[in-house]
Amino acid sequence: MKRRAPITAIFAGLCLIAAVAAAQVAASADPLSFTRGSWAKLRTAHAGQPTVIHFWGLTCGPCLVELPQWGKLLKERSGLRLVLVAADPLPQEPQRVSATLAKAALGGAESWSFTDRFYERLRYEIDPAWAGELPRTVMIAADGQIAVLPGVADLAQVRTWLDAQTKAPR
Amino acid sequence: MRRLLLCLGLLLPAGTAAAQHNHASRGTQEAFTATPAFGPDGTLWLVRTEGSRVVVVRSSDLGRTFTAPVAVTPEPLNLDWGPDARARIAVDPKGVAIVTFAIFQDKNFNGRAFHARSTDNGASFTKPQPLTADTTSQRFETVAIDPAGRVFTAWLDKRNGPAARKAGKPYPGAALAYAWSDDEGARFADTHIALDNTCECCCLGVAFAGPGRPAVIFRNIFPGSVRDHAVVTFSDPATPGPLNRVSADNWKIEACPHHGPSLAIAPDGSQHAAWFTDGTARKGLFYARADSTGAVFGPPRALSAPDRQPARPYLLAEGAALHLVWKEFDGDKVSVRWQVSTDNGRSWSAATTVANTGDASDHPQLVARDGRGYLSWLTKNEGYRLIALGGSS
Repeated sequence: MKRRAPITAIFAGLCLIAAVAAAQVAASADPLSFTRGSWAKLRTAHAGQPTVIHFWGLTCGPCLVELPQWGKLLKERSGLRLVLVAADPLPQEPQRVSATLAKAALGGAESWSFTDRFYERLRYEIDPAWAGELPRTVMIAADGQIAVLPGVADLAQVRTWLDAQTKAPR
Repeated sequence: MRRLLLCLGLLLPAGTAAAQHNHASRGTQEAFTATPAFGPDGTLWLVRTEGSRVVVVRSSDLGRTFTAPVAVTPEPLNLDWGPDARARIAVDPKGVAIVTFAIFQDKNFNGRAFHARSTDNGASFTKPQPLTADTTSQRFETVAIDPAGRVFTAWLDKRNGPAARKAGKPYPGAALAYAWSDDEGARFADTHIALDNTCECCCLGVAFAGPGRPAVIFRNIFPGSVRDHAVVTFSDPATPGPLNRVSADNWKIEACPHHGPSLAIAPDGSQHAAWFTDGTARKGLFYARADSTGAVFGPPRALSAPDRQPARPYLLAEGAALHLVWKEFDGDKVSVRWQVSTDNGRSWSAATTVANTGDASDHPQLVARDGRGYLSWLTKNEGYRLIALGGSS
């Protein structure tokens, strides 16, 4: 049991990375469909690597204002594992999600979009105490430790966190 | 009878599946709501948004069977699909049904609100007319009949924004607008603004303190972009009273929570509010009561726990009872929880589960007939359900 689990996880992770890579080939590719179980897959795919997951929404004004700042950060930090999740309570047109990200210079980042209307379940899987407010940034360290930045993120805080991650012993 | 019920139950999820198919192919958003009202003869009226149409169905057997849908909007429209938007319906003492709904005018979420009515017991509806002449933006319209039978409507209106910005002044949010109809909803008189700078994307709650005296609860924008709740109770049909803050939650957010409050007024004049907040003072779903119009609201009481995503509260006063419902999630199922008070909100029964579901669901609604409260709830798996509160009728 103990030996099998990581192999399954690695396999699932490889599949996901392949899917993400495929999605990134075209800048205007549709976001990955975020549905029940997606959070676990996303976590597995990035396990052991410091990862920043930014939840935003097309129906969230402050999110749209903030997005280009994430585009700048991504340009500044080539090694940044940034995952964008469009968490609108009602599924949005995939083309609009990808076009909005492309405009913010985030076209190459891993992108997901809620496509399941049972949003209570999606949020619960991510964090039972999350009532759905956007934007929201979740930073996961190599050891799995999670830091949450609710609202528009202070990118100085994100940079400090990223620096601490690169210095942290592996 | 039972077979018909089953058919309806099957039809509704099928419609949703079709809507989801559209998501995959076109990616459009689909409204998924059902809003109830009882007519004077005990008929249940339901206004439903189905994709790009608004339809009305009626039931004379408490939701077991329904008439065929009658379209209020024959042409497909870009309906306001915001998570807190819904078509509304009110039926006056003569059985005239008035429906309100909104469409999106553009991709910036500017809305246009309409009204239509039926004077032939739901066989047909008049061509929808704009609630107001101004075209800037109207959303979260609601319609209600006052105790004298007069039709009241209120909505969130952005007409004062452009002029303020032109003058170099910031104009956060929207305005609380209202209008009355003196001809059973055929026309609405001039629009009036009750107050400016309310939050722009949460639904309103309406109750009546007496004839010509609506009370509206809404998410306000307090200084510093704090989006906490307030009640305005009219002293007469043309005079909105002062703003009465329900609770200082201190939810400072430059965003749209899409999560509106609910209000009920008990026969003794006490006011009852339920709302969602994520403020620094408290987080979650809360209830509070005020002894009378304008009185300070008492300490907020938490409903459920924040890690159960308690949401979408609804309050209703019917006879001597005050009903309160909300929905919450246990990691597997969404449940509608119910509490009742028979002493004007001083004490409440323990919360019990009225219904649950394992997939997407509309916000729970309450409706009353003959002194009895009912939960009205549309869910993806089960379809539409009308459930008597406090056991079978």
